[in-house]
Amino acid sequence: MLGVTKAAGIATAWDRYKAQQPQCGFGSTGLCCRICLQGPCRIDPFGNGPQYGVCGADRDTIVARHLVRMMAAGTAAHSEHGRHIALALLHVGEHKLHDYAVHDDEKLHAVAARLGVATEGREQSDIIHELAEVTLGDYQNQDYDKPCHWISSSLPAPRLKKLSDLGLLPHNIDAMVAQSMSRTHMGCDAEPENLILGGLRVALADLNGEMLATELSDVLFGTPKPVASVANLGVLKRNAVNVAVNGHNPLLSEIICNVAADLHDEAVAAGAPEGINIVGVCCTGNELMMRHGVPLATNYLSQELPIATGALEAMIVDVQCVMPSLPRIAACFHTKIITTDNQNKITGATHIEFEEERASEIARQILRVAIDNFKRRDPKRIDIPDEKQEAIVGFSTEGIVAALATVDAADPLKPMVDNIVSGAIQGVVLFAGCNNAKIQQDHNYLTMAKSLAKRNVLVVATGCASGAFAKGGMMTSAATDQYCGEGLRGVLTAIGEAAGLGGPLPPVLHMGACVDNSRAVALVTALANKLGVDISDLPVVASAPEAMSEKAMAIGTWSVAIGLPTHLGTVPPVVGSDVVTGLITDAAKAQLGGYFIVEPDPEKAADSLFDAIQERRAGLGLSTAPRRPALSPTYRFAPSRPAPALLPS
Amino acid sequence: MAAESQARRENVIIYADPDRCMGCHSCEIACAVSHAEGHDLFSAVAARLPLQPRNHVVSVDGVTMPLQCRQCEDAPCTAVCPTGACRQTDGMVEIIGQHCIGCKLCAMVCPFGVITVKAEVAADGTALTNHGIAKKCDLCTDWRAETGAEETACVQSCPTKAIQLVDLDEYRKALREARARELVEATRHIRL
Repeated sequence: MLGVTKAAGIATAWDRYKAQQPQCGFGSTGLCCRICLQGPCRIDPFGNGPQYGVCGADRDTIVARHLVRMMAAGTAAHSEHGRHIALALLHVGEHKLHDYAVHDDEKLHAVAARLGVATEGREQSDIIHELAEVTLGDYQNQDYDKPCHWISSSLPAPRLKKLSDLGLLPHNIDAMVAQSMSRTHMGCDAEPENLILGGLRVALADLNGEMLATELSDVLFGTPKPVASVANLGVLKRNAVNVAVNGHNPLLSEIICNVAADLHDEAVAAGAPEGINIVGVCCTGNELMMRHGVPLATNYLSQELPIATGALEAMIVDVQCVMPSLPRIAACFHTKIITTDNQNKITGATHIEFEEERASEIARQILRVAIDNFKRRDPKRIDIPDEKQEAIVGFSTEGIVAALATVDAADPLKPMVDNIVSGAIQGVVLFAGCNNAKIQQDHNYLTMAKSLAKRNVLVVATGCASGAFAKGGMMTSAATDQYCGEGLRGVLTAIGEAAGLGGPLPPVLHMGACVDNSRAVALVTALANKLGVDISDLPVVASAPEAMSEKAMAIGTWSVAIGLPTHLGTVPPVVGSDVVTGLITDAAKAQLGGYFIVEPDPEKAADSLFDAIQERRAGLGLSTAPRRPALSPTYRFAPSRPAPALLPS
Repeated sequence: MAAESQARRENVIIYADPDRCMGCHSCEIACAVSHAEGHDLFSAVAARLPLQPRNHVVSVDGVTMPLQCRQCEDAPCTAVCPTGACRQTDGMVEIIGQHCIGCKLCAMVCPFGVITVKAEVAADGTALTNHGIAKKCDLCTDWRAETGAEETACVQSCPTKAIQLVDLDEYRKALREARARELVEATRHIRL
């Protein structure tokens, strides 16, 4: 595909990345402050030039303030998505939306019970109405001492106590975002320790937003169960009206899928014998893939390429991680880019405002734009690659527990715990996050997962990590035989056969979109509760080896806050301050159990994560596996002053 | 033959266009890192190496541009160097580190103020040497040899292409053509 764009002189993300080289050293190290109009101020990273901004902020203050702002923006993004879902649920409860209904009553009852919403003898609409109001309370509560409902009903007790003792439990998502912006305003919070504490708190508000977004989406659209799907650009069909859905929010894309079948005949009449072919891109793609097995065309970084096949009639986008370049690329082909969210428009795109009240009607209107566009296709320019990879997806926490229950119905988590104790499974790694043009697309994911699976580490994935593994053939039974160590292979084979999959579970379990990292939290919480320990005791680690977005910074930070060693494969803009670097690594480890590991080299990163797993195993008194001789880390940090602490002990 | 023609040319210089310079200091960072002996930006900053750029972004009277060694043909620095460390060599003025004693005479006589003699390793105050030797723009000779880069690090780093390596013959040719164009325009309708 890149050959096609190159031959046509069309610049893609990779060309734009090249044109940006080399990137600014002050921005890369976090030493450029753009918070007030006296600036921009830059701190000389090597100590010769200015060491203070005009206002007097030093390198530590500047790095910390900008890092916290990134976390706040990520939190705002996820929780706005969550608010959208919660409001939809509220309106379903008020009988205002006729195109949506509860698709998982069992989950509704489970979630209601967890949040203290009475269900006994009540109408479903009453339950969901109250559940939505309780949820929206997490955006409204003004009592600082009353933590958000979702997080306080979803983490293990020891972790909640630790976070509460450190004053880190958020009371209101919106207030946390506003407070982060306020404290980082010029002339406000300047102490790096206090700023990072604020960052941890807003990141935990992000976790709260992700939890409610995921769980309420499951209530409305169904909880994912294992399902077969396919991934990569070969999922586009020459004889169909191809429609890609790109972005993050399932509210529109679910309806698009629902009504696509109704318009089959119209597509055939337009000359497409196979009707309408819906494919996913990025996390909207993951949502549909998980719940319905809808094929995934690609993940973030190559989202422009489906257009270059010359066979894409429309790309419907909602929110987050949508490249503003799409209409420019589409202008070189016949594809229509359709924006649907009032707060997310792109110059050159067709905007069709989505309203939940008229969801099906608008979905039909959008699909008719695509069908009508089919006749503008230039058959000579159609070039659909053959690449197509089968993938078993849909491993929500409930999906994993159901698969485990086929081995031990009375105590589903027992087989997993037993195998972790025996060492057949050394631990669990969650791969999350994005693609980043600084890294060959998907390379770090595949390298690290293969390295860890071989050492019997179970891999779960969300977001663009899921897309990488689906395309990379890591979500098949065959991959288990090919890549897993003996212990892990045995366990996955036993479960897969008991669950009737006719082969092993795949080595990488697809847990959903990036907002669904909360599913991984639910899984580790269940494990911690089962063992009666905290999350920070478990041999569980996280990695965002191709991190890119502000959401990834928020996710990574709450991952640290709930106690997980968390790897970043791209260097965040913090290196300019050894104090901030020390806070999110050493100080976090001492006080939260979780900490950041920054390592661009995927082999070294896999070793570091395996070491962290072994450290946890030793802490629990479990057998430890022999480690490889450690490769020296790429970046060694030399502190300028004694290691800081998040809070005075 | 090649050496002979090289000998007749002026030393290559780095040319900075003040109309394009945004004052972003990226060239200084790139210069410091290209002399960090294999470190990249992140590892150099993480290790707190006291690196120094050999170029200096200067802002005066509303004009901003980087200044660095002009590779003078009759360089005062080479004239005053007591150890012969500072000398003319193939197309540039060179300072041989092993021969430099850090006496700062070159820094004092440089009309452009672009030679520094600060140490890039931390001195503990009790050692026999402060490790300070004279440093100035070396046109990235070693770095270009190691990386295969054709341009210097500052030229590569400039987001607005304000900095160029300039061959004086080409520069003069461009100047002559520009002035000639103006003269032709100015005299086109005049008959003397």
